[in-house]
Amino acid sequence: MDRTGGVVNRADAIRVVALTAQAEMALVRRDEVSGALLAQAARAAEGTSAAAVLAEAGRLMRAAPKQEAVRQAALSLCRMGLREAEAVALRET
Amino acid sequence: MLAAAGADIDALREIEAWARRAVVVPDGAQIVDAHVHLGIDRDGHALAAADLVADMDANGIAASVAFPADEPGMDGDFREANSRVADAAVAYPGRIIPFCRIDPTLPIGRVLADADTTGVRGVKLHPVAQRFHPEGDECVRVVREATDRGWPVLFHAGFGARPLGDAFARLIDQVPDARLILAHGGRGDHRALAAATAGHPGVLFDSSIAALPDLVTLAPERIVFGSDRPYGDHAQALHLVGVAARVAGWDDTAMRGVLGETLLKWIGPVGS
Repeated sequence: MDRTGGVVNRADAIRVVALTAQAEMALVRRDEVSGALLAQAARAAEGTSAAAVLAEAGRLMRAAPKQEAVRQAALSLCRMGLREAEAVALRET
Repeated sequence: MLAAAGADIDALREIEAWARRAVVVPDGAQIVDAHVHLGIDRDGHALAAADLVADMDANGIAASVAFPADEPGMDGDFREANSRVADAAVAYPGRIIPFCRIDPTLPIGRVLADADTTGVRGVKLHPVAQRFHPEGDECVRVVREATDRGWPVLFHAGFGARPLGDAFARLIDQVPDARLILAHGGRGDHRALAAATAGHPGVLFDSSIAALPDLVTLAPERIVFGSDRPYGDHAQALHLVGVAARVAGWDDTAMRGVLGETLLKWIGPVGS
């Protein structure tokens, strides 16, 4: 989860983890706030390996928030983004 | 369906390929999925055997342990759903390994009699969906029946409100030779569960929709790969064990175990 041209520290990673974990639960609960949480998480993850999956998840939820296939795809992407951020938080000292 | 919703399919394909690259499969390793539901859940999630096998082929998965979704049927005892899973195992020999789903709160004689004649190799129990306690008498009876038959028991173990550590410790005390697979890495009460079951070689955790910080604190010998299809999916399930291997520093031997070898020691060989 290296930032392009920068360094990801534990605070950055924890911020992404927190936002992404909220988005995951919102997606599980089919909460309308999930799209907004994904957008926030994607911004916080900008320049990292989690960014692309979170941005795509947010795009999907904005395009078709009511479609079940979209929600499931976004959930999968969100979980991958969460793990990438968690990996950094676990490795940072 | 995703294209119709305006998804960027090329971007999704690229992400899927990236997720697959996250897991380094050692030479000769066989990927066996410990956790798949077939059928139509009452919450709408659905998976047919043919679609599962197509996805397994696309993701390099040799075999999957499968059991019914939350589809108890008219009698509530999962007999019809179990029968459909058994049929799927016959249709895809060596690819689908049937476990039967049991509601311990109901009479279990007919379900076990079916299982004894349909090639079942384990039991799936869901304490939250079927509203029972793992350490309760009804559940202990089912685990004992399964253990007498040499079958492992896969428990839903996570996402609920109840604490799980003491509950499973009490179950193990009552059936010490049971072999249990605790799903989702025990997400939600992982620390207590891991502590309560430490030193019990008959307890494994599956990785389906587990939390990364939970998986990396476990010895890899205690982890088996799982996807929880159709609630989870293969790409993110493989990505999770790939990231866990990277963070925890699992070597090829550990990875072979997690991906399939450990589970195969419990359920026997697969392959047509």
